[in-house]
Amino acid sequence: MSNSEGMHSPVEQFEIKPLVELSLGGYDVSFTNSSLFMLLAVGVSAIFLISAMRRADMVPGRMQGMAEMMYEFVAEMVRSNVGSEGRPYFPFIFTLFVFLLFGNMLGLIPYSYTFTSQIIVTFAMAAFVFVGVTIIALFKHGLHFFSFFVPAGAPKVLIPFLIVIEVISYFVRPVSLSVRLFANMLAGHTMLKVFAGLAVMISGAGGLAMAGSLLPFIALIGLTGLEVLVAALQAYVFTILTCMYLNDALHLH
Amino acid sequence: MTENTRNRLTAIAVALPAFMSAKAFAAGASEPGLPQLDIATWPSQLFWLVVLFGAGYLVMAKIVTPRIGAVLEERRQTVDGDLEKARAASADAAKIRADYESDLEKARIEAAEFAKQAAMEASKKAEAADAKIARKLAEKVGAAEAKLAEAKSSAMANLNDVAAEAAMAAVASLAGIKTSSAQASKTASSIATKLAKQETN
Repeated sequence: MSNSEGMHSPVEQFEIKPLVELSLGGYDVSFTNSSLFMLLAVGVSAIFLISAMRRADMVPGRMQGMAEMMYEFVAEMVRSNVGSEGRPYFPFIFTLFVFLLFGNMLGLIPYSYTFTSQIIVTFAMAAFVFVGVTIIALFKHGLHFFSFFVPAGAPKVLIPFLIVIEVISYFVRPVSLSVRLFANMLAGHTMLKVFAGLAVMISGAGGLAMAGSLLPFIALIGLTGLEVLVAALQAYVFTILTCMYLNDALHLH
Repeated sequence: MTENTRNRLTAIAVALPAFMSAKAFAAGASEPGLPQLDIATWPSQLFWLVVLFGAGYLVMAKIVTPRIGAVLEERRQTVDGDLEKARAASADAAKIRADYESDLEKARIEAAEFAKQAAMEASKKAEAADAKIARKLAEKVGAAEAKLAEAKSSAMANLNDVAAEAAMAAVASLAGIKTSSAQASKTASSIATKLAKQETN
């Protein structure tokens, strides 16, 4: 993490470092820096939400207000995108949003680790959502589910062509869902690292060059603000797309 | 090394777009590629994702969302209940006001009725008293007129006698004719009736 001896690779921050070596059935399941921040995201969010609702006042205080706002935000998202049939899936979608939001936000703290910058993590989540909504759709609609791939009101000649496109776009969903989050986190954190490294490197030159390090430093401040926005936005985007996929599964078109 | 290459290929198959950006970084970095594509770390990441996301899901589904949902529901019910109470109280107030106004209107009508009756009674009494007084006065007037007529007729009768006597005396002294008083009074009364006739005509 230290850049004092010069510019390290900006992707070095994504390295997985085992903290506790563990193995399960021949697989390496070590508790790593990534796992630690995943644990922190779950722990901090759970502690925050539970302690905020400890008094459960009729007139909420600041903490309770924030917890209720998060709940209402996700509830409204599910209500408007999925409808009343989305109710049973609300706890999962709420967990998804909180997990990603806290993961992204904690990752912005210097020297922390952003587990959402790991493609395997985002892909596993996206794949779980994809497989889940497909199973829900098959259970609910049976074979009728496949009508989903036939756009209504299309000219007959175009239908085979459109089916191919629809099928591809359906199967691309988990990829686009996971890569969107992963790439945003990867690019954002790499950029922060590049600017931070630049500032440190220029200031290391000493003398008048010290003043020059202000420029990347100011840019870094702006980028950090942008990354806070991206962190919240990407958690929201992942969640709302999950809602839309769920809506497609429950109501087809 | 061949194992590593095969792993790398698997990774590419799963995350092709990620590979694109990875290549760009790999070109500049001395270390081989993105740490994200080192699939040796994947089992551990997947394992902890399942464990920790699962734990998070349990906490959210069993503790957090029911608790927040209950508070919000309770608040909604309290607010709805208070609104209902306020609506009922407002309806009560409107009813009380309507009752009060109808009572007031009734009282006003009763009072007007009472005043009208009282006025009617008073005017009846006054009329009765008026009529009584008028009757008494008329009686008195009648009695007085009768007395007057009597006095007049008796005076008129006397007048005839006086006129007959005066005429007899005048005849006796002028013509030396003695007339009976009966004849004189007869003549006098016939003259008197003639005069009275002339008067009325």
